Amino acid sequence: MVVLRAEMCPGLDEDLVKDLRAADIKTVEDLVSSDTEEVAQRCSVSYKALFAIRRVLLAQHTAFPVSGADLYEELLSSTAILSSGSPSLDKLLDSGFYTGEITELSGGPGSGKSQVCFGVAVHISLHLKQSVIFIDTTGGLTAKRLLQMLQTETSNREEQMEALQRIHVFQLFDVFSLLDCLYSLRAGRLQQASVGGGGGSVKAVIVDSVSAVISPLLGAKHNEGMSLMIQVAGVLKTMAKDFNVAAVVTNHVTRGDGGEVQPGLGASWSHIPRTRVLMEKLDRTSVVSHSSLRSATLIKSSRQPCHIRAELDLCWWSRSAEGPSGKRKLDETDSC
Amino acid sequence: MRPVSSLSLSPSVKVRLVSAGFRFTSDLRGLKPLQLSKEASLSQPEALEVLQTVRRVVGGDEGGGGASASLTALELLQKEEEELRSIVTFSSQLDAALGGGLPVGKTIEICGAPGVGKTQLCLQLAVDVQVPSCFGGVGGQMVYIDTEGSFLLQRVVDIATAGVRHCSLLAEDDEQRVAMETFTVETILSNMFLVRCHDYVELLAELHLLPGFLSAHPRVRLLVIDSVAFVFRRLFDDLSQRTRLLNDLAQQLIAMATRHKMAVVITNQMTTRLRGGQSQLVPALGESWGHAPAIRLLLHWVGPQRMAAIFKSPAHMDSTIQYQITSEGFRDANQCEQPQSKRPRRHTNQPAASQRVTSC
Repeated sequence: MVVLRAEMCPGLDEDLVKDLRAADIKTVEDLVSSDTEEVAQRCSVSYKALFAIRRVLLAQHTAFPVSGADLYEELLSSTAILSSGSPSLDKLLDSGFYTGEITELSGGPGSGKSQVCFGVAVHISLHLKQSVIFIDTTGGLTAKRLLQMLQTETSNREEQMEALQRIHVFQLFDVFSLLDCLYSLRAGRLQQASVGGGGGSVKAVIVDSVSAVISPLLGAKHNEGMSLMIQVAGVLKTMAKDFNVAAVVTNHVTRGDGGEVQPGLGASWSHIPRTRVLMEKLDRTSVVSHSSLRSATLIKSSRQPCHIRAELDLCWWSRSAEGPSGKRKLDETDSC
Repeated sequence: MRPVSSLSLSPSVKVRLVSAGFRFTSDLRGLKPLQLSKEASLSQPEALEVLQTVRRVVGGDEGGGGASASLTALELLQKEEEELRSIVTFSSQLDAALGGGLPVGKTIEICGAPGVGKTQLCLQLAVDVQVPSCFGGVGGQMVYIDTEGSFLLQRVVDIATAGVRHCSLLAEDDEQRVAMETFTVETILSNMFLVRCHDYVELLAELHLLPGFLSAHPRVRLLVIDSVAFVFRRLFDDLSQRTRLLNDLAQQLIAMATRHKMAVVITNQMTTRLRGGQSQLVPALGESWGHAPAIRLLLHWVGPQRMAAIFKSPAHMDSTIQYQITSEGFRDANQCEQPQSKRPRRHTNQPAASQRVTSC
């Protein structure tokens, strides 16, 4: 429903807009779907002029089809796979986080979602030397922890500082600030961040967590909650596609009807991420268990069979950095 | 160019804008308030507000200064080291487990069975936050929101007296002696702002008014809410509404903690969870509340010994320490009467390793 305005296309001036409105044609859709000859007669304007305006408006508002072969080539040249830094998680995710899509990590409190996000940010900024945008809505991010993780990977202080400079942190606590931030990133701050951040384009946008700002709005009295949730999803998806970044979000969990654990935010949100991982503590018998082992289950994926599990050790990101730490996949098919 | 429905305006205004055909901010460009109010059937002040919001948002996008400022992690690290110093408690084991003390700018939850010492720890922190900076403390004021009525003034006086005595025994140089003149029981009590809330409505109202108070008192470094569980567990028929209110509360608290650079300590109670014929003691207020605090401490008994376990923390490994409650307050277990020397403020770079306290 795009309203007809005077400057939309050449030939459409104020008077014509007023005449059209008098003839009950207020939007582009109305104009395009009406009978041009009849409208030309009613508004006493030449048929040719109206036909030209209609053609221009159609051209302005149509989507262009792209052939599958072109799309595939574009995909090959622009998608990158970002390793998460932990080999077991990489195996689960088919070698890492793919750019151009949204990956979701869900889990109960203390299940390790934030730790995985920190690990991903540190790995990308240190080893891949690219920038990361980290949007923290829970207050769980401390730069000291990022520094700790960097110190286990490299002991060179300059490298650590450079890597820290490539991680851009936004601390926001409500959904409208999140929308403002995401839209301004899409409108151009993403490029600014990559230029200012010591080299390397932005390769990942991590939102920890998206459910903290949206779940207060979903429910009985609020009629806006769903709409805002879908808007957040929309802007994340377009940002991931347009700028070739990997979007990683975290979510909380709720109990389903049968008592089993499922990711939060409902069925509408479940269609948004391309890949979903559910993380759990292995030892669920006591509240306090000092084990650092977590299990990650793949519950939605378009590349791997679902319900495969991997065991993660959160100590991986705090291990002492002596010697090579195993074969990590630095698979990057990015042509910068 | 953003959709109008993503702007922070009231829903009825947005519905009227969209039905009048204004779907994107670009549609609203160049309009005067009078025009807009006629076309979208809004009142004049509403139209003005819409245009101001659009101008701010679009200016933010193009100007780059923007609605939200971003920091690089390096700047955040520097900010943490300079402005967000931890609150050092009088229990060295707890400080070590938390990586230097209670972190400022985060929400911390303390849960435990009745009588295990949650309120005692809160009262101890109320005194600890006021320790002057030359002793390694934060030197700030604090706000205590009491919902259970468990704030006992005499107990606070005892803890404050013990704290003052401890610090005066440690005073070595002139700066510290000068600081001791302003660190007395009277000043400690005068830097504590006490609020009494009787139900959840009063609590939410108080939190709504708190940002104004905090702007007027920039030295506040600690907010204690003792306890959140008490007001939210009774007289609540609609559990989903309770969850929503709690999530909203959590976001407000973390926003305040970050914006005003203070630590927020929340006390929680325990409840029993029945799972397949077995019962387990878990923190109250539901599982979704578990996501709200950044750090969670569980106080429990193992035999006659009191233990504090950190079971959620994004920056430290889970660990358990022993503590005891003495007449002087919250202290390490088996602490001798002679004062332990407070370590001067030194930034350690080693990660807070897991500490399994060997049984004594």
